[in-house]
Amino acid sequence: MNSRSFYAVGYMFLITAFFSTLIIGFARGTQTRVLANERLAFEKAVLTAFGNFSYKTDAEVNRLFQEHFAQNPEYGKAWVYKKDGVLAGFALPFEGKGFWAPIKGVAAVSPDGQKLLGLAFYEVNETPGLGARIVEPFFRRQFEGLRLRSQGLLLELKPEGTVLSEGQVHAISGATQTCVRLEAILNEQLKDWLDAMRREGRL
Amino acid sequence: MKTASVKPMQEIIRDGLWKDNPIFRQILGICSTLAVTNLVLNTFVMCTALTLVTALSCWTVSLLRSWTPRNIRMMVQTLIIAFYVIIVDVVLKAYWPDMSRSLGPYVGLIITNCIVMGRCEAFAGSNPPGPAFWDGFFNGLGYSAVLLGIAVIREGLGMGTFCGWPLPYFSTHWDKWIIMVMPPGGFFVLACVIWACRSIRPREVKK
Repeated sequence: MNSRSFYAVGYMFLITAFFSTLIIGFARGTQTRVLANERLAFEKAVLTAFGNFSYKTDAEVNRLFQEHFAQNPEYGKAWVYKKDGVLAGFALPFEGKGFWAPIKGVAAVSPDGQKLLGLAFYEVNETPGLGARIVEPFFRRQFEGLRLRSQGLLLELKPEGTVLSEGQVHAISGATQTCVRLEAILNEQLKDWLDAMRREGRL
Repeated sequence: MKTASVKPMQEIIRDGLWKDNPIFRQILGICSTLAVTNLVLNTFVMCTALTLVTALSCWTVSLLRSWTPRNIRMMVQTLIIAFYVIIVDVVLKAYWPDMSRSLGPYVGLIITNCIVMGRCEAFAGSNPPGPAFWDGFFNGLGYSAVLLGIAVIREGLGMGTFCGWPLPYFSTHWDKWIIMVMPPGGFFVLACVIWACRSIRPREVKK
C-alpha cells in the first residue's frame, strides 16, 4: 500500500469513528425517552382495549396502568387486570405482519377466556384511509363483548353487509388484505394463549 | 479538491425550485414521492426531514472536500448522509413517536434518496460550504413543493380531508376516490404533475 492508500484508510477510519461516536452519544442521550414512548404507547393501548379508563396526561396513563395491571408468569405474556382486587380480565399483546408493516396491538380477554372485551393497537402502518382504519373506534367497538367460538376459528372478519353470527365482525371495505392478516394474527395468537392456559388449568 | 466558480444565489434558488427541480426535471426521489404522499402531514414531516438532511449533508461534504480523497468520496458522502438521517430518525422516535411510527421505514430510506447523494456529488463536492448548504436546501424545497402539491390532491380526492381535517364538499358529497390513497394514485398524480410542469417549460429546445 502506498501513502495515498494509507491516508484514505486512515481518513475513513477517523471520520467513521467521529460520526459513530456522535450518533452513539445522541442515541444514548435519548434512549430513555424512546423506551418511555414505546412503553407509553403500549400502556395506552392496554387501557383503550379495556375501554373503561379515562385519562388526560401521560402520567395518568402510567398511574392507571400500574394500579390495575401486572404481569404474572402463570399467565404467560398476558397482563392480568384487577379491578378492586378481583380478576377482571387479561390484556394479551399480539403482533404479526400486516399488509405493509407489522401490526401490534392488545386484545382484552374476559377472565373465563370466553369473550373479548375490546381491542386496541399501538403500531399500525397500513394504507391510510383503508387498512389504517382498523384503529378507529367504529371498527374496534365490534370486538367489545365478542363471544369467541369454541370450534374452528375463534373469530372471523366478514365483508360489510354480511349477516353476522357468533364470533363474527364486519371487515373494512377496501382493506381486505389488512383484515385477512389481522384475522389470522388474532386467531393464531389468541388460540395459542387460550390453549396453553386451558392446558395448565388457569382458565 | 477543485472549487468551481460559485453560482449566484438567485441561480441556486431558481435551479433548485424550478429549472432543475429534483422531481419533475431530474426524476429523482420518486420512491418517497409515491410512498408518503397520501397524507399531507406525513409528507410535510418527510419533506422537512429530507430538506434538512440534504442541506446539512451538502454543507458537511463541502466542509470536508479539501481533505476527502477522491477515490473514497462516495463512501464518505454516504456516511455523512446516514449520520444526519439517523439523527432525524432518533429525534422523531424520541419527540414525535406517533409520526415516527406513521412514517415507518421511509425516514431511514432518505439515506438512499438520490437527491441527497446527487447534490453532494454534483455541487457540494466542488463548492464552498455556504452555497452548498443553500443548494441542498433549495433542492429539498423544490422536492417538498411538488410532494406537498401531490399530497394535497391525493388526500383531498382520496379521503376528503386536509391534514386530517374534513374539507367542505369533499368530505360530504364527494364520492371518495380510494385509489388516490393507494400506490397507483401516486403514479397518476405524479405523472400529471410532471406533464403539467414540463408543458410550462420544456427543457428540450428544438434545433
